[in-house]
Amino acid sequence: MDQSRKKELTRRQFITGTVAVALPLLSSKLPFYGSLAHAAEESDLVIAKNGSASQLLQAAMAPLGGMGRFIKKGQRVVIKANIAWARTPDQACTNNPDLLAALIKMCYDTGAKRVAVWDHTCDNYQFCFSRSGLKETAQKAGADIFSGHGRNSYKQVEVQKGKKVKTVEILRDVLESDVFINFPIPKQHFATELTLGMKNLIGIVWDMEQLHKIGLHQAIADINTIRKTDLVVMDAIRILTTNGPKGPGKTEDIGEVIASTDIVAADAYAAAFFKHPKTGIPFKPEEIQFVKNAYDLGLGQINLSKVRVKKVTAA
Amino acid sequence: MKKAIPYLRRTIQALSFFFLLYLILKTAFPLELKIPVDLYLRLDPFIGIITFLTKKEVILRMLPAFGVLLVVFIFGNFFCGWFCPMGATIDFFDRILFREKKGAKSFSDQSLRRLRYGIFMFSLVAGLMAFQVMYILDPISLITRTLIIAFYPPAIFIFNHFLPQMQHFLPQNSLIASTIPMPLFKVNLLIFLFFVIVLALGVIRKRFWCRYLCPLGTLFSIVSRFRILKRFVTVDCTRCLKCVKDCPVGAIPETNPQEYRQQDCVSCFKCLECPPEAVSFHFGLPRWRTVSGVNLSRRYVLGSLAFGVVSALMIKANPLQSESGLKNNRLIRPPGSLPEEEFVSVCTGCGECLKVCPNNALQSTLLEAGLAGLYTPRLVPRIGYCEEFCNFCGRICPTEAIRPLPVEEKRLLQMGIAHIDKTRCIAWDTEKICLVCNEQCSYQAIIGDDKKRPIIKEEKCTGCGICENKCPVDGESAIIVYASGVQKKLKPEDLNNNKNEVPSTPAKKEKSS
Repeated sequence: MDQSRKKELTRRQFITGTVAVALPLLSSKLPFYGSLAHAAEESDLVIAKNGSASQLLQAAMAPLGGMGRFIKKGQRVVIKANIAWARTPDQACTNNPDLLAALIKMCYDTGAKRVAVWDHTCDNYQFCFSRSGLKETAQKAGADIFSGHGRNSYKQVEVQKGKKVKTVEILRDVLESDVFINFPIPKQHFATELTLGMKNLIGIVWDMEQLHKIGLHQAIADINTIRKTDLVVMDAIRILTTNGPKGPGKTEDIGEVIASTDIVAADAYAAAFFKHPKTGIPFKPEEIQFVKNAYDLGLGQINLSKVRVKKVTAA
Repeated sequence: MKKAIPYLRRTIQALSFFFLLYLILKTAFPLELKIPVDLYLRLDPFIGIITFLTKKEVILRMLPAFGVLLVVFIFGNFFCGWFCPMGATIDFFDRILFREKKGAKSFSDQSLRRLRYGIFMFSLVAGLMAFQVMYILDPISLITRTLIIAFYPPAIFIFNHFLPQMQHFLPQNSLIASTIPMPLFKVNLLIFLFFVIVLALGVIRKRFWCRYLCPLGTLFSIVSRFRILKRFVTVDCTRCLKCVKDCPVGAIPETNPQEYRQQDCVSCFKCLECPPEAVSFHFGLPRWRTVSGVNLSRRYVLGSLAFGVVSALMIKANPLQSESGLKNNRLIRPPGSLPEEEFVSVCTGCGECLKVCPNNALQSTLLEAGLAGLYTPRLVPRIGYCEEFCNFCGRICPTEAIRPLPVEEKRLLQMGIAHIDKTRCIAWDTEKICLVCNEQCSYQAIIGDDKKRPIIKEEKCTGCGICENKCPVDGESAIIVYASGVQKKLKPEDLNNNKNEVPSTPAKKEKSS
């Protein structure tokens, strides 16, 4: 605190300082505080359409209660982006840089102390970071960007609710952060049909490939029980519809940003962007095995009619 | 002024060594240094001449080496004494480990001094025929290789070990420094031992390696016999023999300190510390005559040459090398490598490509490529795979044994083809859905059948080995890349089926110089 700079500490300064520090800490635990802050909260899943990246994000966050619902002043935020591949932004295999910049800015504007962007990349992280343009974007927006290529960044945890995954090494920063934002990009995926919000969390695991041995669908659901995603911001401005998840393949400009507190619901909604390869009709949420498994574990609502969905136009 | 020269020389030697170290550390992503990181190798005329003779074309990157030769012609063999990082290392260890005792017996090296000429002739002949032994002995290649393969991984180990301890002192979460995956090199112990032997030879005599073995020094010796900057001694010489004792390479004969063997002199100028100030250096006409040359008898020369020829023939007659013999189909060369026979004759085994490879994919061979291919790079996918948009190994190869290709060309080069071992593959052997290989493949060369089992499309596979690397099967991978013999170019795939505009941010431009 500032007090340390002064030679002597007066009683008045001590009391003011203590109160200033203690009040926000205490008040966040008070029962009525939550309901006050969530006054603007109208829905659990917001779909914003039409507009630039930052407009879409603003529009999507407002009906959820704004970013202030999730981030308190001075908190540490971790964003799990999708930077898994050394692809360019136009190929829709990695996140949209503008949207990431807007998200980081919004976190800082809400009062976040530090925003860290993480991903355990599949290709070499240096090539992923530079080709996707996301390192430059994140650093320009004032966030730290990290790759999980060093094992010291992980911490072994027991997955108590997990059905198949019992112990797993998870990024320590994700476990220790105050707010965890999942920032996926929906893509077609040959092995699991689709890669959506929950699949994005495979990138916080050290032994990613080993999960394939265990049974990928259940593993994805199990990993999602470890650290609850506080907020999902789904980057559906442009999605990859073939040759996923690495691409390059056909892309489709959806132009939507989906913000949700319920990761299963967000995945259930995003599944409909894609058509079943055999039947040609859009996927039903139940057809994606890991969404179903996560629902069975009680991670969220798969039935969109039971979720407060709101569609907004950004511009 | 004259007394300062030894200190100046030692400082320059240290700077030269640390500059090499700096260049090696900079041999990594993003490779944007203005100076070529393989500078020392490019300045090595020995490598320049040998690659010119074996490849029979001028390698542009190696041209500066001939400039060095010109400087040696003028100033004598200054390189060994002032700039050679190997010489600096040897000097350093000689100084701290092997103090010469006072009153030691004088060392007659007349017979030893011709050793390196023999080695030079042997390796020249053997090299022209098949076996590049000289690259293993070349000091620049040797020190680069040793630093990269033997000393770089332990340095990373120490860094990784102390990093978590360091983090206790850092503010919580202010810096999450990641440990660096430790590079692994199979031949590290062998290379380390060779280096130790080279240093240990100092126990016999200081700078033993430089005086009696080093082939680059031999080349410089031959050239500097014609040197223009020469040592002159006036009649003031009192025969105190101080210069004889001081000379680090023993170029001044005890019997006649007014003369010197100009081919052995490394221009350290230590003899300028002459009590009667009788010694001076100035320019003079070049002449071949020397006070005592190397005693190269006809028998010795012919013997060395014959030994080279026979060794080369022996290696050619080895099944590892012979065309009809066993081919190692797991010997995958780096992308853009010259055809195998040419590759082993031009690659100096310096290890720069091993250092620059971002995924630790390149490994030094031991006998996988036969004796002729000792210490040449090969791709070992289980340790690391070839990164799709990386062409670093070609960009830094000093002799262009790995050709410098633009990224777009490199990524479509077929080094090998992956094959699935269906008895071990998770998807083929069990009912589970795995398809890590399909997910990781950059070229859509692995597709899944209707039961989600992987199938390889050979016409698209480049053999980058990412599938073999990431395969979750324990131990040996269930998908293995086999070398395709000659590297060939694949057809560019129809990538962006729909060429939409970039949504908002333009794609970063490709760096491919």
